[in-house]
Formats: sequence, C-alpha cells, structure tokens
Amino acid sequence: MKRAEYKIPGGKLLSAELAVEGDHMVGVKITGDFFMHPETSIIELEKALEGTPAADLEDTVNGFFRENDVTLFGIHVEDFVKVVKMALES
Amino acid sequence: MKETWRLIDMRIEDAPTQMAIDEAIAMARLKENTPNTVRLYRWSPSAVSIGYFQSIEKEVNLPACEEHGVDVIRRITGGGAVYHDYNGEITYSLVAPEADPKMPADILASYELICGAIANGLAQLGVDAEFKPVNDIVAGGKKISGNAQTRRHGVVLQHGTVLVDTDIRRMFQVLQVSDAKISDKLIKAVEDRVTNLRRYLGRQVGFDEARAALIKGFEDTFDVALQPGELTEAENRLVKQLHDKYSSREWVFQR
Repeated sequence: MKRAEYKIPGGKLLSAELAVEGDHMVGVKITGDFFMHPETSIIELEKALEGTPAADLEDTVNGFFRENDVTLFGIHVEDFVKVVKMALES
Repeated sequence: MKETWRLIDMRIEDAPTQMAIDEAIAMARLKENTPNTVRLYRWSPSAVSIGYFQSIEKEVNLPACEEHGVDVIRRITGGGAVYHDYNGEITYSLVAPEADPKMPADILASYELICGAIANGLAQLGVDAEFKPVNDIVAGGKKISGNAQTRRHGVVLQHGTVLVDTDIRRMFQVLQVSDAKISDKLIKAVEDRVTNLRRYLGRQVGFDEARAALIKGFEDTFDVALQPGELTEAENRLVKQLHDKYSSREWVFQR
C-alpha cells in the first residue's frame, strides 16, 4: 500500500492511499479536512481513478472536475493530483 | 417589523441526534417551507465529530473514546475533527436558502458573514474575535471556533464549535495525536494555537451567558429576531430516519 500526506499551504491536510497493479492504480482513497460540494463527489473521483493507468492521473482528475459540477473550498484540483502523485512515488 | 428566524435553543442530545437534526432542518427548509433556523446545542455524551472526508482511524483514538464514553460521529460537512466537550463547548448551526437575499452566493463570503455573527456574539462578552479563512474564528491570534458548511437541497447549512472551556488533555486522548505521547510540552503548543472563552477572558463563562451573547450576534448580524421554536412533525420524522444513518457503522466508518 502506498501512502502520502500533503499539507496544503494555508492549512488543509490531504492524504492519499492506493496500490499499484501493473501500471494501474487500485484502492484509491483520498481523505482530509478539506471541503467539496457535493460531498459524495469524492467517491466518484475515487471511482474514476480506480483501475486507471498511473500515467493518466492528471488527465483523469482534470477530466473529472471538468465534467462534474463540483465546488472545492480550501483545496484546488491540482492538490488532488499532487497528493496522489506523491503516494505513487512513495 | 423585523424578519423572524426560528431559534432551536440549547438542546442537549447525543451525537447522532444532533447531526440528524441539522440535516433534517436543511432537508425540510424548502420542501416544507420551514423558517430559517439557528440552533445552539451541546453534546451529551461528549463526542468527537470528524469531517466527511476524514479517515476515522487516522483522526480518532477509538479505544480512548470507548474508555471515556465519548461518542464518535461523521458529519455531512467537510473540515476537521472536533472534540465536543459537554462541559466546555457550544455548537451552533444555521440553515438558510442559498437564494436568501441575506446569504451571499459566494462560499467564502457566506463563511465570513456567518462567522462574523459568531464573532459579533463573542464581542458581547468582550472577546475581540475575527474570521480567519478558510473556516476559523480567532481571538488574540488563537483559534476559538471552527466552522463547516455544506450546500444541498438549495440551502446553506453551516455548523461550528465555540470553545468555552475545553478539556485539552481529554481532547488529546480522544483525537489521534501523531505518534507522540500527550506531553505537557504538546499541550502547551496547542494552548499557543487554540484558546477558549475562559482562558481568553480569564474568568468562567457560563453556558447561559455565552448562549445569550451568540443569539445577539446572530440577531444583529442578520438583522432578524430569533424566535424560540420547535422542530415540525415533518422534521422530527426526518430526524428519526437520519438518526439511523448517523448511528450506523457504514456511515461512521465509511473512510
């Protein structure tokens, strides 16, 4: 299991946990004290990343936020990319 | 004639009930045409609430909660873990439509306004408090209130904690403190960052006094009269349903 924690400048803490099978991310879980409306979007984001090639991380996250009406507060789209990338590199 | 909002005043309930009431009021607001509502409340037994996105294992020392009879609950709102000390904390919640002329559409602006109501309330007690983005209220540079907002069912629901006289040692026992043991040094470090009414004012502040000040803060900030009221039958039915969700293992342990 790969894990990373990232403290966003300004305060919020973001964690990612995942495994890699072949080139693919599995069991992706993102936790932290940020804000995201609607809240259940986090489950959809994790689903979108499930089984995705690690190389497609950034495109998948950006695509998710482009296609879904999600409001972030205390966090930005690139923070999700960053923490998952950190976990992949751990 | 001043606009009237409903005040659900200082109910003392367990964690699943408190969270169910907040969500029920938000669900009913437009559907049942209920009034805008402010609640002030305390948690019995004391409880840890964690943000929707937080990992329970990472944030909460479950054996310690068990040992001390502290409830653990997951909120529908994001944000961080809070220790709701029955003897040292007041929680508030506010529900109003997103389209309410008094409610800014911008999320940060609405935090600023609602946190401003809390700060105005604290000013009644002589506390010089101010909103600190993202979602805190600070007094003398130290956090005295944490706040969390969600938007759903066309309404804004914001709830938050006002620290009156928190047992910091117990707070550390029930929250996961990164691998270090609870040292006096650590407690000192937190006391440098977090304060409460008793410590800031150098005197005991009773719940009645704090409650009255917070009510005044809401009334002045929103230019409304808060009228004590009860939940409607429809809301009570929702509370019953939502209570089951909030007490379920699937909800609390979902991440």
